[in-house]
Amino acid sequence: MVSLRAVRLVAWAMFRETVRDRVPLSIAAFCAVLLGVSYLISQMTAGQDLKIIKDLGLSSLSVFGLLIAVFLGINLVAKEVERRSIYPVIAKPVTREEFLLGKYTGLALALVANLAAMTAAFFAVLLFVDVATPAFAKSGWPAPATDPWLLAAIGLIVAELLVVTAIALFFSTFSSPMLSALLTLGLWVAGHFNADLRRFEAVVDVPALAWIARGMYYVLPNLAPFDIKAEVVHGVPVAWSHVGLTLAYAVTYITLALLAAVAVFRRRDFK
Amino acid sequence: MAPPGSTRLLLAMGGLLAVAIALQVVRDRGWQPYEPATPLLWVQSPEAVARASLGHRNLVADVYWIRAVVYYGSQRLSGRGADYGLLYPLLDFVTTLDPRFRIAYRFGAIFLAEGYPRGPGRPDLAIRLLEKGVAADPARWEYVQDIGFVYYWWLRDARAAAEWFQRASAVPGAPSWLRLLAATTFASGGDRRSSRQLWQQLQDTADNDWLRRTAAMRLAQLDAMDLLDRLNAAADRVRGVPVDPAGVPFERDADGRFRLSPQSPLWPLPQEPPATP
Amino acid sequence: MAAVEIDGLTKDYLVGFWRRRPYRALDGLTLTVEAGEIFGFLGPNGAGKSTTLKLLMQLIYPTAGRAAILGRPIGDRAMRRRIGFLPENPYFYDYLTAEELLTYFGSLFGLRGMDLRRRVSAVLDEVGIGRERTMRLRAFSKGMIQRVGIAQAILNEPEVVFFDEPMSGLDPLGRRDVRQAMLRLRDRGCTVFFSSHILSDAEALCSRVAILAKGRLVAAGRLSEMVPYGATGWEMVVAGVDDVAIRALAGAARKVTPLPDRRAAVELAPDVRPERFLASLPPGVEVVALNPMRATLEDYFVRTVAAPGERAGG
Repeated sequence: MVSLRAVRLVAWAMFRETVRDRVPLSIAAFCAVLLGVSYLISQMTAGQDLKIIKDLGLSSLSVFGLLIAVFLGINLVAKEVERRSIYPVIAKPVTREEFLLGKYTGLALALVANLAAMTAAFFAVLLFVDVATPAFAKSGWPAPATDPWLLAAIGLIVAELLVVTAIALFFSTFSSPMLSALLTLGLWVAGHFNADLRRFEAVVDVPALAWIARGMYYVLPNLAPFDIKAEVVHGVPVAWSHVGLTLAYAVTYITLALLAAVAVFRRRDFK
Repeated sequence: MAPPGSTRLLLAMGGLLAVAIALQVVRDRGWQPYEPATPLLWVQSPEAVARASLGHRNLVADVYWIRAVVYYGSQRLSGRGADYGLLYPLLDFVTTLDPRFRIAYRFGAIFLAEGYPRGPGRPDLAIRLLEKGVAADPARWEYVQDIGFVYYWWLRDARAAAEWFQRASAVPGAPSWLRLLAATTFASGGDRRSSRQLWQQLQDTADNDWLRRTAAMRLAQLDAMDLLDRLNAAADRVRGVPVDPAGVPFERDADGRFRLSPQSPLWPLPQEPPATP
Repeated sequence: MAAVEIDGLTKDYLVGFWRRRPYRALDGLTLTVEAGEIFGFLGPNGAGKSTTLKLLMQLIYPTAGRAAILGRPIGDRAMRRRIGFLPENPYFYDYLTAEELLTYFGSLFGLRGMDLRRRVSAVLDEVGIGRERTMRLRAFSKGMIQRVGIAQAILNEPEVVFFDEPMSGLDPLGRRDVRQAMLRLRDRGCTVFFSSHILSDAEALCSRVAILAKGRLVAAGRLSEMVPYGATGWEMVVAGVDDVAIRALAGAARKVTPLPDRRAAVELAPDVRPERFLASLPPGVEVVALNPMRATLEDYFVRTVAAPGERAGG
């Protein structure tokens, strides 16, 4: 039904179009510069520079990644419809499903490429710190400078951003670029406050409200579990099952968002 | 005509939602959001800041830690007019935001205990901060050892110090020399020998330069005290100008006894804990 | 076989923010375009031309009615390999080059390898894009974008092309290029279906036209055969006239307006044959221009179309 070749072609064109766009490029470049500066910032503190570099690195990856995801997200469909660049494509032998999946794949690839570049900059700084630190001082580090668990934390950040992009895709199938960016950011914030919903019954007496809160906890995108930055920086072990289940959740939620996007998009009129 | 209704799509979406909920239920059995293990004293402001940081509370803690260090350093430079009133609230804020911020506890305690004007001279607050650290992360024997250290060095309470060293040695994963240290401190009640042992251990195990330098300086001070004792014992027989381990000549007081020159980097020497019977 | 068959095609849009009510953009359009012809789809702005083309391209879905292109229903994927579409004021991706865009679209048509490269190069040559083909589209002018748009519509050597307002916003040179491109397509046996709100575009090209107003078909057939659309007179400019000649001209003409430099504009009634009038010109008078006078499309619509439109609206 869905031709993978068509999906691949749309994805590749979108990837090229996106990686050449200056905005995500400059966000990624700014992030790389900030990572370099983090080394200087860490010099202003008494010891513990590695912790601060790691905190700063992981947080900037996740914040700038979010900016890129939202920026790319609004480009997904809403801007194509607004500028009517979608018209000649839809007239080609491509189904709307293929177009949508291709767009998502291409933008996901561009996002991963941007984050890979930022991660490389991050590890370059960490490697420098590792080489520049004498062995006796390293004995006090809770985790090595180039800790492979950092990659797990970054992996979960990427997974979270891919969920955010899928949500942005869904919104952009029926709303304007600005509105879909705002809705996506709104869901991202909600997704991080989500854990509070689960404990809502401790705050309210009305059982119905607690049930609604619990329902929202499970239905809204649950993004807090993707955040293992603190654990990894402090060398606190994270269960592999947690990482695995969270990744499985990401795949499920992305598929769900894409199906919802398809359901809206296939019936949409481009006025 | 528009494409037919999306019944199959809706069914698939319902199925996926069920899978997503099941995954969350399974995951939540083995996972809690990373949060401090103890209820927090300073609830209002750090908590509000933590909320506003949207999952970046570690980073905010770093920022406040930098502020605390800069604050301590600037007050210390101002000499006699120093006011360390905000130091403890800042450190408390930092460690509330990031309850596992190891260096904030250990260095924070050193800052707090340091005597005026080089620090606020509040060993009680140092102990309170470290106890908060122990509560947040009971596996950190270093915090327990540091409490003992504050009792020994700043409060000159060798018995309490020995008890804390013993508690530290009981933490799983604590090094064996802690038991020795506890025993020595109990036995000798805080003579220079156990002091020297304490600092030597710190110097050998410290994981950063600053702590190593501090320990080296304390050891040199102990050397100076030993040397002074010997010098003063032989004061009458001595001719010429003897120098301390830092190379600065000793001064002589009105009684002709030697004492450390205030120009020496080792000045002032600590007061020795009274020997316990 | 007909290239395009449209049968009772109707489209309602829902308008209004709170109380959504349908607005009929296209009302029961029935139309047949024969293979190999250039078919003009005319009407003032807002008549439903773009709506019809969007329906045919499945950018929007009809409320009622159906259509077939090359004998296949409009949703048919294989049929889409055999057609081309140029949207109104096309817009493409900013950061792709013309060559990359066409390579992308060509591969969507199923072209690959050497065939694809050759074909992309050939259509870019055809629409007159030379060295600019390796520039990003962001830097292209409107006229250049229009050329890219035509290139992407003819990339797959289509049997039918749909051009939506292909000449809008172009300078006279650009309009001429587009006209020539359409004639070349027809010569190759390709059916051309294009929409325009400018009549002269159609007069120069079309074998047949359909005229649309307020979502309804008001006329279809050969432009010259459309009774309400015959010439309403002739307009002439003559040179070398003096007062005597002007008086002589005024006898036969409906109106004579003297112009500077011994020229005059002469208007003839539709029942006066211009051939006969030319033969009766006084000696020394030269003809500079002779044009039929026609109502503009807008005039035409005001007179003949407004009534049914208002009925539909009321």
